[in-house]
Amino acid sequence: MMPNSSISSMINPVPGGFYKMNTKEKEKYIEEFDFPFCDEASKYEKITKIGQGTFGEVFKAKDRKNPAKIVAMKKVLMDNEKEGFPITALREIKILQLLKHENVVNLIEICRTRATLDNKYRSTFYLVFDFCEHDLAGLLSNVNVKFSLGEIKRVIQQLLNGLYYIHSNKILHRDMKAANVLITKNGILKLADFGLARAFSQCKNGQVNRYTNRVVTLWYRPPELLLGDRNYGPPVDLWGAGCIMAEMWTRSPIMQGNTEPQQLALISQLCGSITPETWPGVESLELYNKIELARGQKRKVKDRLKPYVKNPYACDLLDKLLVLDPQKRCDADAALNHDFFWSEPMPCDLSKMLAQHTQSMFEFTMQSRRQGVLRQVNTPWIAYFFNRKTAVHEGLTFYRLDLRSD
Amino acid sequence: MAVTPCWYFDKKELRITPSSLDGIDYDTELRYRKDGARFIQDTGTKMDLGYNTMATGVVYFHRFYMFHSFRNFPRYVTASCCLFLAGKVEETPKKCKDIIKAAKGFLTDAKFATFGDDPKEEVMTLERILLQTIKFDLQVEHPYYFLLKYAKCLKGDKQKLQKMVQMAWTFVNDSLCTTLCLQWEPEVIAVALMYLAGKLSKFEVMDWTGRTPKHLRWWDMFIEDVTMDLLEDICHQVLDLYSQPQTNPMPDSPPLPPAPQIQHASVRAAITHSENTRSPIATIVQGAPIPTVSMIGKTVGKNDSKLVSTNGELSKMIVDPLKPPPLEPPSMFVHAPPHHHSYPPPSFSQPPPSGPPPTTGTLYPVYPPPPQGAPYGSSRPPSYYPSNI
Ligand SMILES: Nc1ncnc2c1ncn2[C@@H]1O[C@H](COP(=O)(O)OP(=O)(O)OP(=O)(O)O)[C@@H](O)[C@H]1O
Ligand SMILES: [Mg+2]
Repeated sequence: MMPNSSISSMINPVPGGFYKMNTKEKEKYIEEFDFPFCDEASKYEKITKIGQGTFGEVFKAKDRKNPAKIVAMKKVLMDNEKEGFPITALREIKILQLLKHENVVNLIEICRTRATLDNKYRSTFYLVFDFCEHDLAGLLSNVNVKFSLGEIKRVIQQLLNGLYYIHSNKILHRDMKAANVLITKNGILKLADFGLARAFSQCKNGQVNRYTNRVVTLWYRPPELLLGDRNYGPPVDLWGAGCIMAEMWTRSPIMQGNTEPQQLALISQLCGSITPETWPGVESLELYNKIELARGQKRKVKDRLKPYVKNPYACDLLDKLLVLDPQKRCDADAALNHDFFWSEPMPCDLSKMLAQHTQSMFEFTMQSRRQGVLRQVNTPWIAYFFNRKTAVHEGLTFYRLDLRSD
Repeated sequence: MAVTPCWYFDKKELRITPSSLDGIDYDTELRYRKDGARFIQDTGTKMDLGYNTMATGVVYFHRFYMFHSFRNFPRYVTASCCLFLAGKVEETPKKCKDIIKAAKGFLTDAKFATFGDDPKEEVMTLERILLQTIKFDLQVEHPYYFLLKYAKCLKGDKQKLQKMVQMAWTFVNDSLCTTLCLQWEPEVIAVALMYLAGKLSKFEVMDWTGRTPKHLRWWDMFIEDVTMDLLEDICHQVLDLYSQPQTNPMPDSPPLPPAPQIQHASVRAAITHSENTRSPIATIVQGAPIPTVSMIGKTVGKNDSKLVSTNGELSKMIVDPLKPPPLEPPSMFVHAPPHHHSYPPPSFSQPPPSGPPPTTGTLYPVYPPPPQGAPYGSSRPPSYYPSNI
């Protein structure tokens, strides 16, 4: 573990009495140094590629020493980095190291490739996670997978549990969506993808946080973000949780806008018009006056979801999560105390149901995506919205606004 | 899975580092470490980085050289790299080229030559080595946080408490130049340096919030099993910084700060107990004010018999009831070098302390308090110190 001492004997002096390895020596040193705390990625054997994220590729792999141990390896993309190791990856690592909870994906370690001439002496890094067999997006898009009400309760309960934990640790996930919710074959749900997560602080003595509002996949993005709020907090994740919860019944994302104004229009159609009466303070958000918002819309969360979500407790909880005003939106703790989780049928174990679907959902979705067999837009729910051409069209009127001027 | 690192080492281990195996003697290594830490603080200060960012960078630096030799990795390149990484980790990112530019301002051409032909590339390559070396253990805690936390619990004269905290804060800044962060958890260092500052500023903690009969001393509430020997050892390691020999500085070594040699003797007297083999008066320089018993006496004997000096020389030195107490306590920090400035940062991960601006005393480096909520700017003279105690 100590550097090869013969290297130091080759050191060349540079002016000023300093010693410095020349390039060759440094390369040799780096290549030979056995970093005791950072294993080589080759200890794992890649099985297949399971994901291609914005952040990097994800592989399924097995531990060569213990082939029963399956992991997911997420590559850190460094090619286009002018500022070294990406700050987003550092954030993700820092946060994952902090978060240790049954409902948060477990980061096992960070591995490196050996620096060699081939990679110009630049190691590649991998985040190594416990492997999860399923992701919620994959399960929901598979028509053969049927969740009972008790199973849905267990999924949402675990989701909220994870959120409660990360929020207590002052972390915002900021990228809630079904694809980032993983489920093990034992039915344990894991929040994943902390690539956009960050620490938050309660603003003090008038100081206002200036977070970027360009987070969260559009379909799961809450109204405050769409209106340019930069001082948001945990409620952004609970909006996403509400969207995901509804999706447990609708089986596809409930609001699939193509643009930010359209997304806002879809939100208004479901949750009612955005006004200072229903949402005090909204008028001070950056984009409130710059965007033409749908007027006169009534809140119809329960009405519209009732055809899918028959359980009244479930409807009521959704109604409390999909609330426009983030301050009035239910937090994770309150949601966990909702009667939905404390009424019959009680939340129940998922492992039995999952055992019937042994083909990993990644493989299923990857394959299906390739073959284009997955329904995306043609779901009844989406049809429901998109058939209302006029309503959507109203939303389209403000497309011309350039919202990208950050 | 890779070995789980332990970032704490005992004193023996600190002597068998890669540098020592590489033929660099212990004192030289300590000096290199100090150089690197100062350099990070200087560069960080110049770039308006907060105290946490700088401290994180320094901790990375010390950890790095537990696995690599100073001979293989020139210290200023490593220091710049540590600061660069710490900036990103602490959510106060700075561009690599700006750090290099700021760094250059503190270095002679010869020293800057260690950055090679392409300094940015040099730092980038090193960053990967650094990350692997420190096991991606990015999040490090610092004594500052605990200092503020503990101070909130202490009862007593507000102004004295404030003074004590400010002094302890300076000690924490300076402790980064030592290997203390490789030896003890930040909690322990915070307690030790508050203890030292308490002695020096004559702030005796009589009571504290959350006290129970089990607690002999205030810190029993926060850390267990620390002996007085341990606390004093930590204090001495910091005090050693102020008494390091000025002789034969290496040609590439930056000028050391003016060593307030006398004062540390009084400080030592304040905390030295009989078994201590150091000779606290050995470093007293001519003409320096002799600390008096009025300063020491208060802190000695009441509930800490260990502190009563039975050392003849020491007693002679400190017991001089006739001599009036110095109008100003030891001015050890008045000539503090610029690196002593560190500023509470406006950072997300570590919200800046809030509360009234500090009532700055006149005894310690006094910097105008920052205007509340003012943007953090470079034009402002160095502000200072936490204020929410
Ligand atoms: N621990 C894991 N077990 C199984 N699959 C995983 C695991 N982690 C990630 N994946 C798969 O890889 C995909 C991408 O991972 P992740 O979401 O963390 O990366 P990303 O690059 O941020 O993705 P995106 O930007 O598309 O959300 C996930 O959607 C999931 O399908
Ligand atoms: Mg993802």
